[in-house]
Amino acid sequence: MTTLAFPTVPKFSVHHAARPMMARDADAMYWMSRYVERAEHTARLLMVNATLLMDVGDLAPKFLREQWQGVLTILRSEAVPPGDAKLLGSRIAHHLTFNADNPNSMYTGLSRARENARAIRENISAEMWESINKLYWSIRGDDAVARFDDSPDDFYRQVMNDSMLFQGLTDQTMAHDQRWLFTQLGKYLERIDITCRAVETKFNILQQVKMETALRTIQWMAVLRSCCSIETYRRNHAGDMDPLRVISFILLERNFPRSVRYGVAMAHQALAAIRAETNPLAIDPGERILGRLSAQLEYAEPSEIAEVGVPDYMQKMQAQIAEVAVAVQKAYFLY
Amino acid sequence: MSVAALSGLHGFAVCGFRAWLCDYLDRGRYLIAVPGRAGPAANAVTVQSDPRAIVPPIALAAPFLTIRFTGQPLGSRRMFDKYEVDGLFDEMFEMPGKPRTHYSAVASRLGELGPAAFNRRVRMADVTFRNQGITFTVYNDQRGVEKIFPFDLIPRIVPANEWDIIERGLVQRITALNHFCHDVYHERRILKEKIIPADLILGAKMFRHEMSNVNVPRNTYIHICGTDLVRDRKGQYFVLEDNGRTPSGVSYVLENRGVMKRVFPGLFGAYRVRAIEDYPYNLLQCLKYAAPNRAEEPVIAVLTPGVYNSAYFEHSFLARQMGVELVEGRDLIVENSFVFMRTTAGLRRVDVIYRRVDDDFLDPLCFRPDSVLGVPGLMNAYRSGNVGLVNAVGTGVADDKAIYPFVPDMIKFYLGQDAILPNVPTYICAKDDDRKYVLENLDKLVVKSTNESGGYGMLMGHQAPAAERALFAEKIIADPRNFIAQPIVELSQHPSFVDDHFEGRRVDLRPYILYGEKVIVMPGGLTRVALRKGSLVVNSSQGGGSKDTWVLEEDEVKE
Repeated sequence: MTTLAFPTVPKFSVHHAARPMMARDADAMYWMSRYVERAEHTARLLMVNATLLMDVGDLAPKFLREQWQGVLTILRSEAVPPGDAKLLGSRIAHHLTFNADNPNSMYTGLSRARENARAIRENISAEMWESINKLYWSIRGDDAVARFDDSPDDFYRQVMNDSMLFQGLTDQTMAHDQRWLFTQLGKYLERIDITCRAVETKFNILQQVKMETALRTIQWMAVLRSCCSIETYRRNHAGDMDPLRVISFILLERNFPRSVRYGVAMAHQALAAIRAETNPLAIDPGERILGRLSAQLEYAEPSEIAEVGVPDYMQKMQAQIAEVAVAVQKAYFLY
Repeated sequence: MSVAALSGLHGFAVCGFRAWLCDYLDRGRYLIAVPGRAGPAANAVTVQSDPRAIVPPIALAAPFLTIRFTGQPLGSRRMFDKYEVDGLFDEMFEMPGKPRTHYSAVASRLGELGPAAFNRRVRMADVTFRNQGITFTVYNDQRGVEKIFPFDLIPRIVPANEWDIIERGLVQRITALNHFCHDVYHERRILKEKIIPADLILGAKMFRHEMSNVNVPRNTYIHICGTDLVRDRKGQYFVLEDNGRTPSGVSYVLENRGVMKRVFPGLFGAYRVRAIEDYPYNLLQCLKYAAPNRAEEPVIAVLTPGVYNSAYFEHSFLARQMGVELVEGRDLIVENSFVFMRTTAGLRRVDVIYRRVDDDFLDPLCFRPDSVLGVPGLMNAYRSGNVGLVNAVGTGVADDKAIYPFVPDMIKFYLGQDAILPNVPTYICAKDDDRKYVLENLDKLVVKSTNESGGYGMLMGHQAPAAERALFAEKIIADPRNFIAQPIVELSQHPSFVDDHFEGRRVDLRPYILYGEKVIVMPGGLTRVALRKGSLVVNSSQGGGSKDTWVLEEDEVKE
């Protein structure tokens, strides 16, 4: 039997302290991930909304306008631009997809995601870089608009799939160290934020408009679709489309990566791990907020949501998430 | 003939496209070239059969392709058939049709290949470069545009016996240059003994008074040097210039090799090509060696001007390959004459900085006060011996074009040896006799400004119109220190792929030398190609491309 012989006794240990991470790199890591997540949600929202409008058929211009206004609100963009109601959808879709001057367009978001990735190219894996680079060129390329006009659906699906591919590569090709933790934090904060705003906005629209039950059901299905949740919801609730059930599901479902509760727990874990590594003794304000929120969602009942009122509940959640983002920035990125 | 420009794809969906394209190309029906390969004429796809059959998929897939319908049959003509040597030194051919021994295997394989198959590989290489984001930035608008560095797929081969001379010559040269730097910042013996005129050094823009009597780690100034070599009509190698400040291009050498292995794996089979993949490791050792004494496991960082710098890809690449941090000026802070980087867990000491920022921008307290790329107080930390900078500050004095003519004298002076690699004869405009000759013979000379690089500020006397020559004459008279002149070297040529065949294009060679515990010359280097026909300017900023460069293990070629 032969054994591998080393000439000297190794002087290193595998149990060494983690290498510190550059603050600017952490910043870029977090935003890279956040922007990719945002692109995925934008694509899904636009896709779901376009499909929904096909389902409900010819709508009154006022309702059409409101429907698109909802998408704009969720994506934090300005009011519906005036103009022909028939072309409204395509105008807004282009505005939210390709407009380089719109800070909330997919184009801008993916450019920023790639810009951040490029600035930390040495921190991410080659697979991640190639995937984000391809994603970027798929919307930057000269033929992107033509492909979009051929089939917006295919176009959005590709963006969604490529975004998820990127998230998957992030999980599987880099060490789950501090760098990875920042990507998780960015991803989940973005997801919670946009999910809460989607529920809030849709709820408000449906409150205001008179609508027959069938249409309402389709509307709530669209809400679930834009949160990537419809299949799991159907399984768990046997297809019943009761608004409070839908909202409770999106907010409180256990073990479901798209629910707010899951996102908050994950973001909390990530931030706690980052804090433990960088500053074991201090208290991190962001971590405290997330911890409290996580406990609240863990033990919440749908009746409490109904009591507070959906819009208020959602707004409060968003405000707290915004507070966390500011705290993270103060603690780790600003130097 | 109708020409239709089609636009489309940027890197996505490439796999499908590639498969599709290969399908067509394998049937030998279409010919495709990619722009930037070799002048505007190459910017074409030649299609001989019914165009309608292929337009939609190409339109989907190729942003930078132009499609041209010719109706002429392609096919049997070999790609070397029209190859001309033109009285130049040709790297591959002794005379038309007769390749040099060390090129014979490559020449015969490429000759058999046919334009369609070759083109397929050109596409593959291009797609690889784009997807991997191997780009450089051209500043023609405020934000800069990312471009692929044109890659010419035919490898340049250097036989072992030639490389041996180059290697010894380069080691000798970097050693002398390091002695020189130490000398001019300390005793100045070479000036006192009037080997080099003192005013030429002390008046140079690149001379850093701040470095006088500063002791740098290991007395090394130029840790990394990129020396440009050219060959004349006879094939003799000359040193054209040294780049002892922040030479760039080495990442392309490594990436070119990677791409070559991917698209032409078969070609390597006939040769024993020396590996270059250990360069990042050697560089890391070299950087560690430059650490101030007290650091046991030195913390190393690559300092970049930022993501919009033209060489950003390389900075990021090297940091990644070495596994060290890539920092910008704003990530570093100097406290009590020590350098720290800002991390999520507070400040962390940095021992060695491989800086890719010019002297001028390194420290606003010491050099240009308007610099935002640098680190205030860095020079202070450096002079206190608390941080190593690679390359040292002030090495510009050694690669100054006005000092270049004296390098053979330096070698004699410090090492007592004759230069192994000769210089190109050079006229120093600061000398009265030389200046007189230069002004009288401007149409036969290349005039270079000593303060410019990258092919800027240059007069190619034999090609320039009289008005431009007159303008340069005025400039020379106004500021003679700023100019040197050299006879025109008719650079050697090497086959490049143009349209559907091979043509000769001028090349140079930039090997990279590491001066650490040992002096290591990377076996290979960046072969740059002037892609425009007849052009002698190989700089990437002036439309140059590059080739993979193979240094052979031994002279014999496996059959």
